[in-house]
Parts: sequence; C-alpha cells; structure tokens
Amino acid sequence: MNEDALQKLSKYVHDARKPLNRISMQAELIKMALNGDVPAEKALVALDKIIASTKDCSATLSELTSEFSNTHVE
Amino acid sequence: MLTVLLVDDDAEFTEVACTIIEFLGHEVLTASSLEEARDWLKKETFDHILLDFMLPDGSGAHLFDELNALPKSPRVTLITGHPSVKSVIKGLCGPNIDYLVKPIQREDLELVLSGKPQGKSKKEESIKQHFGLLIGESAPMKELYKLIERVSRTSANVMLLGESGVGKEVVAAAIHKASESEGPYVATNCGAFSKELIGSELFGHEKGAFTGAVGRKEGVFEQAEGGTLFLDEITEMPIDMQPNLLRVLENKVVIRVGGTKTTPVNCRVVSATNRTMEEIAQSKVLREDIYFRLAVFPITIPPLRDRKEDIPLLARRFMEEFNAENGANFTWKDSQLDTLQAYDWPGNVRELRHFVHRAAIMSDPEKSAIELPKTIESPFAQKQSTSPSLQAGRTIEDVEKELIYATLDKVSGNKTTAAEMLGISTKTLYNRLHAYGDLSKDEQ
Repeated sequence: MNEDALQKLSKYVHDARKPLNRISMQAELIKMALNGDVPAEKALVALDKIIASTKDCSATLSELTSEFSNTHVE
Repeated sequence: MLTVLLVDDDAEFTEVACTIIEFLGHEVLTASSLEEARDWLKKETFDHILLDFMLPDGSGAHLFDELNALPKSPRVTLITGHPSVKSVIKGLCGPNIDYLVKPIQREDLELVLSGKPQGKSKKEESIKQHFGLLIGESAPMKELYKLIERVSRTSANVMLLGESGVGKEVVAAAIHKASESEGPYVATNCGAFSKELIGSELFGHEKGAFTGAVGRKEGVFEQAEGGTLFLDEITEMPIDMQPNLLRVLENKVVIRVGGTKTTPVNCRVVSATNRTMEEIAQSKVLREDIYFRLAVFPITIPPLRDRKEDIPLLARRFMEEFNAENGANFTWKDSQLDTLQAYDWPGNVRELRHFVHRAAIMSDPEKSAIELPKTIESPFAQKQSTSPSLQAGRTIEDVEKELIYATLDKVSGNKTTAAEMLGISTKTLYNRLHAYGDLSKDEQ
C-alpha cells in the first residue's frame, strides 16, 4: 500500500472509530441509568443514539470499501 | 473534586463524558477547538485537561508548551484514536501527561482522574474467575464449568463429590450465582451439629420446643427460600435424622421442631461429600432414597493433581490475595511455580492456598522474592496419599512403599501378618521399613 492510500485508510479508520467511541460512552450512560445514577429516560435517548452511531459506522465502512475497490479497479 | 477541561470536537461524546465526569464528583468545562481551550485557560485554573489529539484547528499537542508555561500546570490526558500514537506521545510528553485510546470507557476516565498509574490493574485481570469464583483453564475444569452452566438452568438438586479441599463449597456458590435465583445462598455443615440440634438447624424450631429454645427460629430450608441451600458433609448426617430430610425433599414443606404447622419451602439443595459414590453405596451412610433425591445431578470435582496446569494460576491468585490484604508485593519465580506444579497436593486447593500463605508469611516483607519452605508436605499429606491411586508416571518404589503402608494399616501394624499378605519374608519387610527410615532400632 502506498503512502497516499495509507493516509486515506487512516482517515476512514478515524471516522469509523468516532461513532464507536460514542457507542461506548452511551453504553456507560445506560449502565448508570440502570443503576439509578441518572434518570431512566436518558437510557432511552442513549439507545437511539447508539443505533444512529452504528449506522454512521456502517456508512463509513461502506465508503471505505467502495473507495478502495475503485482504487483497485483503476 | 477536580476542575477538568475537556477539549474535543465531538459534541455527542463531550455531552456524555461530562455527565460521567460530573457523576464522579468533578467540575467540568468543555471546548471544541484549540482556540476555545486557550480562552478557558486564560479565565480559569484547571487541575486536569482531557485533550483530543486531532482538533479542527490543529493537534492537541500544540497546547503543551502553553500548559507548561502556566503557573500551576495541570495534568494532561491525551485522547487518541490511534494506539500507534502512544509511542510518539510518550516521547513528546513529560511525566505529567498520559493518554487514553478511543473507544473510551467510564473506568478509563475514573482511572486517569484518580491520578493512579495505569496498566497494573489490567495485568491482574489476566486470571479469569469463572462465575466470579472458580479459577482454572484445564480440560477437567472446562468440563466442570459446562456442567455448572447446564444445571444452573434447571432447578435440579445437585450432589458434589470430591476429595477434601477441592472446593466443593465454592462450586456450590458458583451454581447459585449462575442460577441467578432471587433467593439467598445459605450454607450449613451437617457434620457440625449434634443429633439433637440438627433438626432445629435444618427445619427451625418453635418457642419452647426444647430446653434453651427461648424464641422461634427459622431453619436453613426456610432461610434459603427461592435460593440455594448448601448441605456440606451430607454423609455425616445421623442416619435416624434422614427420614425427616427425605420428607422435606419429597413434600417440599417443613414442620419446625415442636410445631405442627407446615411451611412450604422452595430452594435448590446442593449437597456435598468427600466420599466416592461406591463408598456411599457400600458404607450405608446415606439412605438410598435420600441419595436419589439429592443426587439428581451428581458432579465430581477433579482433584488438583488431575489439573496440574492450573496450579500456577491458583498460586498467583492466592499470592495476589495475600498481597492485597497485607500491602505486600510478592511475586513468584517461574522455577518456584514449577516446584509447586510437580507436587501432588493430596489436600488439593485448600492445601495449596495454605502453603502459599505460609510461604508469604515466612518471606521477607521488604522484598518481593518468595522464600519457599523446604518441604511442601503437610502432616495430612502422607495419610491421604496412601489412598489407592495407581497412575502412570509413578515409580515402582513409590507404589511399593504405599502398598506396604496400606497393608500395615489394614492389619494394625502386625508385621508378620503384613509380610504374609504381601508375599514377602518378614526380614524383607523389616529391610524396607528400615530403608524408609520408619523403624526404631529396638524394633529390628
């Protein structure tokens, strides 16, 4: 893999890790809500945000796949 | 309480992180760029800065010089998405800076804000405790975990068989834990009560039922309602008390001693004995009908000599426990763990644990080196190792010695009869005993 492709890949990995970080923190918030440390409604909002983040992550991975398959074809 | 500045351009992340940091008892302010962070640093004094490595207007590393120039420089934790950045940062940073790798968990935040060094706790976690209690990765233990898992999904009564010291009570607690039942775990030892008191212990008593019964008492069956009742040394229960136990197991009701009212009970009974199934059948210490009620699902716990690969894990775990309780810092050498692994441990895990703690107490508390006692054998070892166990890997000499002692035991030490049974001359028997150093001069 050349320098340019490696940089592109790093950018996609960075973008994919961002929603993973969000998911991890939202899951911690849900744990706190289940323990009664924060209001229970926060858990519901957090779950919706987790679902949204999984979609973001998936979209980034799809972009990465199409970008690299195009590069390969070229 | 610390004042924390969180610098990150991901608004969703900062929002949740703030909730968590505030819950941990700290005050937190946020910035989404280097510029905003600089503004805050002019206005406020911070104890700790959580800093994203990649910000819209540059790298978080650009703030380092400015932070060092402050009259009271805060601790800095860099947040990075790349584990590889760690080594670069390590070179750049002084002792005041550490890092977190995304995705971040609450305990990561807790750890960096507490100021404790990272890494140590993660190393200690490497010894897995199955069901939060059991240690061992050997094939016999994996089989045991499978059985516990299976039986925990049912309400069947379990009988645990195994030599003394294998951890029957720990396995009983593991079954209770895996069952996720609502009721409590109650343990009692059937061998610990006199004939008169065992009825009251198991089934409870009414006020005035017997001399000394000053109040009403719930028995262990009632106490374990909805949970697990562990009856240790079940074969030591007086045989004439066993019909009462059978009635409870069959009808699922108890009548307290001195009472008339029946109370329904509902708990899983886990019983344990150090006798083998054959011994139970032959020695008539347990009625057959009780056996079938209690041993719906019998589980045999392997002795430690059959899972020697677990010895280093257990020894490390026991030493960690000792270190934590006594503020010590003992560590094993590989050669010492090899020595422990070579021994047969007739007293099983209990003997190993006792030995590890004894070794720790004997060692110099100022050092981390452990001094192993010269001999491992406990006073109980010889007696137990004479139990019949012919296994490949033992020498003929060793087995011969065991056979001679077992025969002598059987004939109450009469050497002429023992020699006859063994098919050797009395002189040969004396010679052998002399070689074992077990013969005083006047006996020869």
